[in-house]
Amino acid sequence: MTTAIPAEAARPARTPRPTTTPPRRRPRRHRPSAWAYAAPALLVYTGFLVYPALQSVYLSLTSWDGITPDKEFVGLDNYRHLADDPVIGTAVRNNLLWTLVTILLPMLLGLALALALNSRLVRGRSFLRTVFYAPAVLPLVSVATIWGWLYNPTDGAINEALTTLGLEALTHAWLGDDSTALWATMVPAVWVRTGFPLLLYLAALQGIPRELHESAAMDGANAWQRFRHVTLPGLRPTNHIVLALSLIESFKVFDLIYALTYGGPGRSTQVLGTWMYFNVFQYYQSGYGAAIAVVITLVAVFVGIPYVLSQTKD
Amino acid sequence: MAATIPASRTVRTVGASVALGLLGLVWFAPLLVLVTTALRTGADLASSGTISWPGSWTLDNFADAWKIGDFSTTYRNSLLIAVVKVPLGVAVSALLAYALAKLDLRFRRSVMFFVFLGLTVPLYIAIVPLFTMLRSVYLTDTLAGLLPAYLAFGIPFTTLVLHQFFRRVPDELIEAARIDGAGDFRIFWQFMLPLALPALVTVAILDTVATWNELLIALIMLSSPENSTLPLGMLNFSGAFSTNHTGLSAGILIAVVPILVLYALLQRWIVGGLTAGAVKG
Repeated sequence: MTTAIPAEAARPARTPRPTTTPPRRRPRRHRPSAWAYAAPALLVYTGFLVYPALQSVYLSLTSWDGITPDKEFVGLDNYRHLADDPVIGTAVRNNLLWTLVTILLPMLLGLALALALNSRLVRGRSFLRTVFYAPAVLPLVSVATIWGWLYNPTDGAINEALTTLGLEALTHAWLGDDSTALWATMVPAVWVRTGFPLLLYLAALQGIPRELHESAAMDGANAWQRFRHVTLPGLRPTNHIVLALSLIESFKVFDLIYALTYGGPGRSTQVLGTWMYFNVFQYYQSGYGAAIAVVITLVAVFVGIPYVLSQTKD
Repeated sequence: MAATIPASRTVRTVGASVALGLLGLVWFAPLLVLVTTALRTGADLASSGTISWPGSWTLDNFADAWKIGDFSTTYRNSLLIAVVKVPLGVAVSALLAYALAKLDLRFRRSVMFFVFLGLTVPLYIAIVPLFTMLRSVYLTDTLAGLLPAYLAFGIPFTTLVLHQFFRRVPDELIEAARIDGAGDFRIFWQFMLPLALPALVTVAILDTVATWNELLIALIMLSSPENSTLPLGMLNFSGAFSTNHTGLSAGILIAVVPILVLYALLQRWIVGGLTAGAVKG
């Protein structure tokens, strides 16, 4: 409420203090008509996001196949089944690994690039920023198609480049081998995701006053000390935002896995999102799929709450 | 990195610029090989490999890809959905953001929490009920059937960003307009929207990109090729062209070049919006 206070304080200043006008009893009057403005969005949001989400919670307690009208209530059976479904183990591990890598690498790369692009030494900074952010606007399906083609084991550009460099021993069926498939799907994710932290870090770096650096330099701080004690603290809020948004985003992974490996080879690259999709739309186990969705959502919402709270503060 | 010999500023400038430029080139390389591959003949690609300068040039790949990928249909559908969804989504979100920022909405904080929590909710949780809901009104496999979910999942972010901007409009301005006899809606229409124009453009662009790229809901809702959106068409297209790399490259370029051009032209707004949506810590 910090910003609301000066605004409120400004009002009485304009209304003359003397008794000609009665002082306002309630400085913040709730307007019932405000609901008319809020209603359209709230109705759509509640009707097509909140309500279906709650319905999924109910479905997760049934053995519904997704087709027949009858939904048998089975209590927590679907959740118990999660524990003995071997694919869930793979999917959870893959989700965690994927999340870790596709958050840390883009953050580190984004920070490094932002530091470089913030330096006055580099020419063409805005052009380079455009280049590094560009993959972020591409449809993930196209990104998957591009990388699927680059990874092609027989005539893909990656193996071709390795051969040209004399590293033929390293050529590989990147997506076809279950020891490399998951890692191979992370590369395009890093390619796509680096732009976002880059932009935010760049904005944050530009927000750190030059005088801070200059006075630190005058106090005899070297480049590393200035980075450590001026730059890094200035980036802390950005770290939190980037981390929160990337965490939410990474955990939802679907498009890249679906389009690049379809969860394969075997089931080695299944993540919770794709496994939920397969259960609902391939194996007609909607109830079980809903249980997977509930778990993904609980984790995502739980992780996201601090960010959401920070955004509701004034 | 400072050299022992005090390097002149020019040398360091050139060095740093070249190093980053090379990195940028590597970063962009996937898109560059896509261009050279799309512009050469299949025979030329087979004989010289992907990483080589084309020996012969052709535009035929684009014609093939356009026809077989049925891009006229998928482009039309994606455009149609974006043209309806984005203005509608921005409009309802702007009204909500206005109520939250300036109309002293009751339970304001709770409403904000409720709506912004939607940012964290994955699509997965809603798709099955959404599908059955729309099937019961015969809206599956129609473009209109995508709208409810697209709108609902777009509202949290758009409202968040617009709320940030609306808050910054000084209350004095609104009070003054009110004293002049302007009602809530006139204030919204004549003051808030024009003042927030940069924010409106930004959220509209970001929303367009998100709508344009959406796969999961389209994959579930749509089944006929004539209703396919661009990402869905791409999925089928990449299967059909899995052995024809020149055609595949041309198809990918058809799908991504317009959005890249749009991005290059409008990036100022995108950058502004992303940083505005994330400034508070």
